[in-house]
Amino acid sequence: MRKIQKITGRTILYIVLIVTSLIMFVPFYWAITSSIKMEQFIFASPPQWWPSPITFKNYLGMLQRVPGFPRYFLNSVLIAGAITLAHVFFDTLAAYAFAKLKFPGRDAIFFMMLLGLMIPFQVNMIPIYRILSSLKMVDTYAALIVPNMTSIFGIFLMRQFLISIPNDLLDAARIDGCDELGVFARVIFPLTLPGLATLIVFIFMNAWNDFLWPRIVLNSDKMLTLPVGLAQLQLKNTSNEAQIMAGTVLTMLPMILVYLFMQKQFIEGMTSGAVKG
Amino acid sequence: MQQILKPVKRFFRKYGVAYAFIAVPVISMLLFIFIPMAISFYWSLCDFSGIQAPRFIGLDNYIKLFTVDKIFIQALKNTLLFVVLSMFIGPTLGLLTALMLNQKVRFQGLFRTAYFLPVMTSMVVVSTIWKMLYNQNGIFNTVLTNIGLSPVNWLSDPDMALISVVIASVWQGFGFETVIFLAALQSIPKELYEAADIDGANGINKFFSVTLPSLRSVITFVYIYGLIGSFQTFDQMYVMTKGGPVYRTTTIVLYLFDKFQDLRLGYASAIAYVLFFILVILSFIQWRLPGSKSTEA
Repeated sequence: MRKIQKITGRTILYIVLIVTSLIMFVPFYWAITSSIKMEQFIFASPPQWWPSPITFKNYLGMLQRVPGFPRYFLNSVLIAGAITLAHVFFDTLAAYAFAKLKFPGRDAIFFMMLLGLMIPFQVNMIPIYRILSSLKMVDTYAALIVPNMTSIFGIFLMRQFLISIPNDLLDAARIDGCDELGVFARVIFPLTLPGLATLIVFIFMNAWNDFLWPRIVLNSDKMLTLPVGLAQLQLKNTSNEAQIMAGTVLTMLPMILVYLFMQKQFIEGMTSGAVKG
Repeated sequence: MQQILKPVKRFFRKYGVAYAFIAVPVISMLLFIFIPMAISFYWSLCDFSGIQAPRFIGLDNYIKLFTVDKIFIQALKNTLLFVVLSMFIGPTLGLLTALMLNQKVRFQGLFRTAYFLPVMTSMVVVSTIWKMLYNQNGIFNTVLTNIGLSPVNWLSDPDMALISVVIASVWQGFGFETVIFLAALQSIPKELYEAADIDGANGINKFFSVTLPSLRSVITFVYIYGLIGSFQTFDQMYVMTKGGPVYRTTTIVLYLFDKFQDLRLGYASAIAYVLFFILVILSFIQWRLPGSKSTEA
């Protein structure tokens, strides 16, 4: 009797899991298949669950109507890449100073950072925009990269990883004649690689998906990032859903591929803040 | 001269490296957080179009926001409703799915991927997809009419639009909570459950006496993180509804964005500060909440 109960329980569990997973999957499926359907079948009733005939005309049509699309891709790669590199460098160095070095004012500055973490970006957005525009920096890569070269969140995250490295190890390196930069490069850096992977994934994803600030600070077509370009695409042709879906698929594909290859880092990046505290 | 320079030199030899390491983040923090924050507070007390110099008008912007500006009050209500709905549904779904995945399920990784995939997809992409699903002739309505039900005006019905946006947002985000809760569940010591078994506890007893208390700090984190994020909602509304119909999906940040576009920079700054005050009050409540100390460990 108990066994039957257990088997039905397991069956129900798997059914619920499969159904909910399908709910997660269907919108992606529908977006991808819509992008390779003939435009007139997009809203067909009954729905065309499998595209027939399969066509790539929407992709060509989208690229013709929005010739800048490959450029958006390049912009996104360059901007998110530069931001990530800057974070790796500056966040880690600062985190090292906060975790392992003693200097006057350390706790006060750290406390200031804690306060800074609470301030929503929207409060600072308008003055930053005005400052950048008076420096003629609006509508450039720099407008996106310069204000986002380091983050308090990234410093806190890396500090958590660095604090767990034993001080004896650092002292040994110092006795062997390493200066602080040498200690950092030879001892700290190799030991924090898992932490770094987490930081990279987190920062890259946020930079890649960011919308509000790029939307505000970028105007000309050749500067847009993928999310802004995708939003603009919808203003340009509201009627052609098939082409919009082609643009959507091209926008989401790189991130999904990166995720599938770096799943472990993604999951750790998202959970480390919460579970480790 | 030498006498004065010596201690300075020694100071820098001793601490120079540390200051060099934190220089860029500290300058960046001043330049892009604290200074802009002070400027925008001043602007929030000004009539400022960005063209002429700001003109000080005291609390007029704030008074106008809360007395005359019906759209802002609507935006406040919308945002609050969005926050309450998505914070109620999202973490609940996250916990339920995490509990299911924690039952020694086969293909756990595969299911987790399914829930997590939308989390790393940009909100603009997710909103674009859901806008098509919600289309008057979209897949939802086609299926509804094919099984003999009447279609729903997902995004054009004033009473439905915000709920539709909440559904899409929860779909996008709850996988984050799934993953966090799952990691937390897996770190609960087995002994606690064994002890509960010896005491003769059933599944429901164990959930309330072992699982839930062990998750307390993670639940606090999820809510704080989620509250702050959902009060700043912008992307979904910008893509799916542009705030309509009749301002029923206009959020605080979307309204701020509109005022910024209209070059009412003083007014927009005041809106930003209202958002800031809301978040400060929330953080304060969280900080005073009993049991929140455990989150600091």
